[in-house]
Amino acid sequence: MLHLLNDPYRRTTSMEQEAEYRQLSAALARTAGGDRNALKVVYRDTAAKLFGVCLRILRDRGEAEDVLQDVYLTVWRRAATFDPGRASPVSWLVAIARNRSIDRLRSGAYGRQMYSIEDALDIPDNAPGALEQVVTVEERRRLTSCLDELEPQDASAIRAAFLDGATYEMLAERMSVPLGTMKSRIRRSLIKLRACLER
Amino acid sequence: MSEEDSMDREHSAPIAAEYVLGVLSAPERRDFEARLVREPALVEQVESWESRLGGLASEVRSVSPPDRIWTRIETALTANDAVRSIGFWQNLAFWRWAAIGSAAIAAACLAALLHVNMNRAPGQNEPLVARLDVSGGQVGFIAAIDRRGGGVTIVPASTTDVKQRVLELWLIAPGDQPRSLGLIQAERPIHIDLPAGLIERVGPHATLAVSLEPPGGSPSGLPTGPVIASGKLTSL
Repeated sequence: MLHLLNDPYRRTTSMEQEAEYRQLSAALARTAGGDRNALKVVYRDTAAKLFGVCLRILRDRGEAEDVLQDVYLTVWRRAATFDPGRASPVSWLVAIARNRSIDRLRSGAYGRQMYSIEDALDIPDNAPGALEQVVTVEERRRLTSCLDELEPQDASAIRAAFLDGATYEMLAERMSVPLGTMKSRIRRSLIKLRACLER
Repeated sequence: MSEEDSMDREHSAPIAAEYVLGVLSAPERRDFEARLVREPALVEQVESWESRLGGLASEVRSVSPPDRIWTRIETALTANDAVRSIGFWQNLAFWRWAAIGSAAIAAACLAALLHVNMNRAPGQNEPLVARLDVSGGQVGFIAAIDRRGGGVTIVPASTTDVKQRVLELWLIAPGDQPRSLGLIQAERPIHIDLPAGLIERVGPHATLAVSLEPPGGSPSGLPTGPVIASGKLTSL
């Protein structure tokens, strides 16, 4: 299960970051074994990041609090499916937080909300905390430079979808283009991103 | 390799990418998550896209949640324990019919339940059960362990396309490495004898997990493929 040393991405990780990821992966493994104190460690180290992710998508503190609770109950049930050789522990947790938040956002009660593409471009310049970084510095740098290779509008649409939970329909409306055009632009951008990241 | 590599790799972004990016509507997400249960190759695509795009979340500012959230989580965990130990079988039957709607598999599951119930003894020897969830939270397998030495019975609750690979069942004790219990079937219930005293040694808080392995099972003695389902043992 522990493939940390075989993962090529790990070689580019700073020692501190690697140590943090290892500690978090170990806490997830203990959580899988039914250790509630381990879940508490996971919560202590990641709740602020995941709350930020939920808030960004849901834009409502009460809703984000409910979803955050649900996220850690999901982590409790599914910790054994986390494989540190296949994913960074933080990005695994972020995926759960995003999925739960998007499901809530898409539920009937929430309805159809409008998002500002400009908001998505407003990247806060905050000092990274212990587990602020979801992936390694090198992975982050590569992703940013690959996004920079896209048309600026397409890159901002990708960010609005990932960070704010915007659907194709919302993106098309905001950017005043037909739905079909929006879909093909996003799909083309995803292929370009994949090709760039694998170079 | 996955379909992504052989089929449309150069020409179209797979739906897994659109799912991870988050642009799909609620019905499209439900449909895709239903496919995830059946197609492990898609799970790998989702994981790859989560790795590719996950770094975007570094752009999100952290916000400290109020302390009451952790209190609520602890309360919910305690409540879950109580509910599971009281009403597990009723819920189990509900999950089976609700999740798959297949009379044949539901009957197989009932057989497994009866098997455990007939062997039921008071006190410490109460059977242990586990609901093994797959990605997305659906029920993947139902397992029951007869603690008096009857072994483990595991029932698939959804169909899994294993392609050229096999399913291996693992027992993971708190703080310990996964221990293989043997190969299981994707289409039918299977009973595996357990070494005497194993369950008493690992204790009642262990986890069962199912991984995809090459034919013949894991060559290393530890899971080598993706873990497609897992769940904690619970006392009845």
